[in-house]
Amino acid sequence: MKIALVSSFVPFLYGGARNIVEWLQTMLEKEGHQVERIYLPEIDAPDLLFEQMIAFRWIDLSAADRVICFRPQAHLIRHPHKILWFIHHLRVFYDLWDSPYRGCEDDLRHRGLRDALHQADTAALKEARHVFTNSQVVSDRLKHFNGIDSEVLYPPVFDADRFHTRGMSDEIVYVCRLEHHKRQHLLVEAMAHTTTPVRLRLCGSSSGTTYPDTLREQIVRLGLQERVLMENRWITEEEKVDYLADCLAAAYLPLDEDSYGYPSVEASHARKALLTTTDSGGVLELVRDGDNGFVAEPTPQALAQAMDKLYLDRGRTAAMGERALARLDELNISWSHVLKRLLA
Amino acid sequence: MKVLIVNNMAPFVWGGAEELAVHLQKNVIEAGHEAEILRIPFQWEPASRIPSQMLMVRAFELWNVDHVIALKFPAYLIRHPKKTLWLLHQYRQAYDLFDVGQTNLPPGAAGEELRTVIRNADNESFAESRKIFTNSEVTRQRLQRYNGFDAEVLLPPINDTELFGGGSVGDYIFAGGRINDMKRQYLLLDALAQAPRNVKLLIAGPPDSPADGERLRAAVERLGLSDRVRLDLRFLPRATYAEYLNGAAAVAYLPFDEDSLGYVTMEAALAGKALITTSDSGGILGLVKHDETGWVAEPTAAALAPVLADACGNAQRAAARGAAARSLWLSLDINWPHTVEKLLR
Repeated sequence: MKIALVSSFVPFLYGGARNIVEWLQTMLEKEGHQVERIYLPEIDAPDLLFEQMIAFRWIDLSAADRVICFRPQAHLIRHPHKILWFIHHLRVFYDLWDSPYRGCEDDLRHRGLRDALHQADTAALKEARHVFTNSQVVSDRLKHFNGIDSEVLYPPVFDADRFHTRGMSDEIVYVCRLEHHKRQHLLVEAMAHTTTPVRLRLCGSSSGTTYPDTLREQIVRLGLQERVLMENRWITEEEKVDYLADCLAAAYLPLDEDSYGYPSVEASHARKALLTTTDSGGVLELVRDGDNGFVAEPTPQALAQAMDKLYLDRGRTAAMGERALARLDELNISWSHVLKRLLA
Repeated sequence: MKVLIVNNMAPFVWGGAEELAVHLQKNVIEAGHEAEILRIPFQWEPASRIPSQMLMVRAFELWNVDHVIALKFPAYLIRHPKKTLWLLHQYRQAYDLFDVGQTNLPPGAAGEELRTVIRNADNESFAESRKIFTNSEVTRQRLQRYNGFDAEVLLPPINDTELFGGGSVGDYIFAGGRINDMKRQYLLLDALAQAPRNVKLLIAGPPDSPADGERLRAAVERLGLSDRVRLDLRFLPRATYAEYLNGAAAVAYLPFDEDSLGYVTMEAALAGKALITTSDSGGILGLVKHDETGWVAEPTAAALAPVLADACGNAQRAAARGAAARSLWLSLDINWPHTVEKLLR
């Protein structure tokens, strides 16, 4: 089959939104399909939004047997066999309207733009043969704002077989970009409250230098240099596999994220217990407290308690790691399921 | 610097322009920059939808890009304050092909209107570009004649120079590249039938259509040349193509009126091979100088037969002409580092 994968992008920025497209491309090509990947630029400034949306309406992909659309506003594309794997709205015009992220006035003009956007989105969503999302959170939003029913199709990670476990050190790892909303600082703070020799490893690059600097100062201020290791760089895939194979457990505690996040799925493939917080959003679709990890209140004290428990009761921690792997099956997180549904 | 290469995409079709964009990207990165390719879908049928696709390109907003290098219509309509064009071609069906009646634009007023729309948009884009390069002299002249813009010719370099180190003078003439009527491989077969029996021919490359390949197979059969001709009609791995080329006595390439120097002749010259072409092959004549770097014959079997005999009959002479071809190619100084530097200047 000739399949076009369409998404929007910001040139030279790489991350999860590209991974889902490019990994799917590899899997489809393995199955013998002809795949064309199309990334088109898009910026969210209110005054430039509609002319860019018209551009998406004008794209001619009639050469494809079906198109699969990802990041907004790719869903606006016209095609008789349009499938959406909808990963988020332009959130500042939806759930983040009443938040500091809005970035424009809440006046008549912008409310008009917002409402027109909602209408255009809803109309385009209705054209799709089938709408999939990457999380229950996004599905709920589609229902709430656009009245659209959708099916959750959790994005698997690439080449999951390479993840494995080979032991259990004293270390909780957090493999993720160092960003304020990923809240590495909360874990560092929690480390000061732990009563066991549990250790913490943070690894990831950052979009700036401020946050890593703050973390470094915080580690020194709390006298945690011996027990907290920070690697401010993009670690290699091999390093990641090794860290996950050896660690005690894995942490992932973003603030109210839409999706469960690749770090938690990768750790689950390595059969490791997960540590997250009650306000982490989509991560809670994967992690259930006391089952495949711990869901703590987002306070240093509560996190410290959970970290100590992971350290002290190793038998239980190992069992939760086994449950983490089983949980992926329960949620149908696999490429075979994804391909079956997208090509149905 | 963040360099965005902007090109068209005919969905599910991959060709020379796509290869060029990929190599440009690779070489911009080698020059120490970041580079990405933006491929914009474009379908020229039906012609009535060309204007909306032009507007589409015009409506895109680029952010986080320092420099744009755009290659084709309508990709080069994209807006950016620092845009350089490396023009591979305009929409020829609105220009020179329109003039000779080979166009998909509708007849009459509707066609004229589309033509005006395309020309106006082109002119606006050319005017807002920092600098315009073209991939050939023909493209440069066309731009000058139809749009009145000056450009500098910047010939596309060879992509994998390391493959074409040359080799000893073999006992066959090599004809590489795509197989179709415009490239006239059949003419070589007709010539071979009139040449001495010691002359051998290797034709290798992907036929544009099954019929193009069949035509050659039938000719070999009809002319009784099967012991002197080898056909390898497929998309060749680059290493195989280079092996064929490096071991030849001479390399023949006879397209009708080609715009460019031709990758086949460029690569053959780099490998130090004597070149064979015809007097109506256009840009190819930039590298093939009769009695110096090879042979230029009239495009007939009778004229080509003695040339094939000559090329296979004297290894020393073939080697000397090959060396001259190599010198001429190297004197043109066409390489990726210079090309990238010019495009980003």
